[in-house]
Amino acid sequence: MKRRTFIRSTGLAAAGSFIAPYILPSGRLFAASGARKANHVVFCLYAGGVRNFESTQKSEGNLMPNILNGTENINPGILGGIQPLPASPLPMPLQNYGTLFREFRYAGGPTGHFNGHTAAITGVYTDTDLNLREHPEHPTVFEYYRKHNTPSPAALNAWWISDTLGPYPALNYSRYPGYGSMYGANFIAPTNLIGVDGYSVLGTPKIFSSSQKASSSGLRGFLDANFSGQYNPEEAGVVNPLAVSESIQAYLSGLFSKAMSGQYADPWGAGAAMNNDMFNVFFAEEIIREYKPELLVVNMQGVDICHSNFTAYCNNLRKADYAVAHLWNMIQSTPGMMNDTILIVAPEHGRNLQSNTLVDTFGRYAIDHTAPASGGDQNARNIFCLVAGPPSVVKQNQVINAVAGESIEIVPAIADILGFEGDISSGLLKPFSSCDLQQAFI
Amino acid sequence: MYNKILSACTFSLLLILPAVTSCRKEKSYVYGVKDVTVSQEGSLKPNVKTTTEFISIAYADIFGTSISNADLVKLSTAYSSFGDRKLIEDMVIRNFLNRTTPPPQVPAKASMTADVGKFVSDTYKKFYNRSPNEYEKWFVTNLIKSDTSVTPELVYYSFLTSNEYRYY
Repeated sequence: MKRRTFIRSTGLAAAGSFIAPYILPSGRLFAASGARKANHVVFCLYAGGVRNFESTQKSEGNLMPNILNGTENINPGILGGIQPLPASPLPMPLQNYGTLFREFRYAGGPTGHFNGHTAAITGVYTDTDLNLREHPEHPTVFEYYRKHNTPSPAALNAWWISDTLGPYPALNYSRYPGYGSMYGANFIAPTNLIGVDGYSVLGTPKIFSSSQKASSSGLRGFLDANFSGQYNPEEAGVVNPLAVSESIQAYLSGLFSKAMSGQYADPWGAGAAMNNDMFNVFFAEEIIREYKPELLVVNMQGVDICHSNFTAYCNNLRKADYAVAHLWNMIQSTPGMMNDTILIVAPEHGRNLQSNTLVDTFGRYAIDHTAPASGGDQNARNIFCLVAGPPSVVKQNQVINAVAGESIEIVPAIADILGFEGDISSGLLKPFSSCDLQQAFI
Repeated sequence: MYNKILSACTFSLLLILPAVTSCRKEKSYVYGVKDVTVSQEGSLKPNVKTTTEFISIAYADIFGTSISNADLVKLSTAYSSFGDRKLIEDMVIRNFLNRTTPPPQVPAKASMTADVGKFVSDTYKKFYNRSPNEYEKWFVTNLIKSDTSVTPELVYYSFLTSNEYRYY
């Protein structure tokens, strides 16, 4: 070997040995560098369109006594339409465990439910029309979380639990280049899946022996190998590894069994008051209990009945309030999650100042949510946000009364909490350093 | 003289032409239809089945009849309620294979072992709408012959949950 070649080879080898340890399995050069504030985040979209008048401003009395301090009586005019609920599971209202932003804003984009959900989950307002048949244009918080942590967390660590189908399943990952289904969350719409109909079509699967499973796996592997040129993994949605997939199937079968044996008929002792929102949060708790995910997003939309019935809206506002308190109590009772979880609660948007012409049985007018792009009735942009968490991380019993914070700050906040905000390319999200939500943290 | 010859030729031609170009009896053609098996190579399946297509085609392939609208709605809802499609497809197919009414139309094991090559070819045509190539036929036939735990039901399950079955 010539001396020059030897020196060059030695130099390259030395450089390689220096750099190689920093090339991570994900193909990135460096791991997420930010320190975590907590190891779990639960984001509860208190959605369906909630006005600050009825929530934090308590114009009908304190309709959210499990979250908000205050003993204001419910307006006697609607009291007949308010169902009784079990006593609060918390020793004091949730706002005492964190920081309440009373004048948060959904500051851009149409005030539609899916627009609001998309902005909250992607951290980007949807200023243009959405294609409801496609995944979002910008990466979701699930993809940021799974892509920018090393090693990349399994999908079992990220869950999107929706109260309904329609376009909402598509919010578990985006079509943004470099992201997509490989970094998506496990999506489930439990109230659509776990029930008599779901059981009738999925509840009694054929069980194969382990040797049959191995044989089938070998045959399928051969068949798939011969089709690898055509197959696009993106079209299968989020994919869990085989062993995880089998464990989820067993878990779902267990849920079916419990549902069919009546164990989910009234799991919270709320009787006839138990609505779809409460069931959705109940199943979120089941997921938390089983998998203790690092990132979970769950929504509720029962309050949207306000389009036609104002009193039922107030009634559902209380149920959602109870569900959030139950969720927090469950988190704080779960080893591995307690004292290591940040809970963020916010509606996706508000509702109009002006009512429509529909009147309920209590003589109250219904309200839509149609804030124009600018001017006009902008009340549907006014919402609240609550951040609760351990006292060492989240400022306790703090109330921010000024207009502060907006929907698109929630994703950067989650990224900061889980320590990967600095790893996201600049320009994709509002920098957390310029977010008002910073005020919630120690 | 030349003019006479030309006139005679012209006259003769006028006599012959009608005989040559006049109407003739039309020939009678008989058209037949030859059976052709339309198949699709695995490498030429660019389209993914929709949820509805996957469920209704799988149902028809397994039970030999069309799925009821009520079942289709229930299955579509369940299918859309979980994000990992392969996981749910696996559950859908295993539930189909476990049904008793209607019973799945799966050949008996004796029928499979009596002529494994034919069973393999039939299975490829049934689920992939194509014939296996020689290597595919050899591999699957050999696998069935060498593994006694392989049943027709297990082969059907493997095909129905494979990636190619998701495409057309």
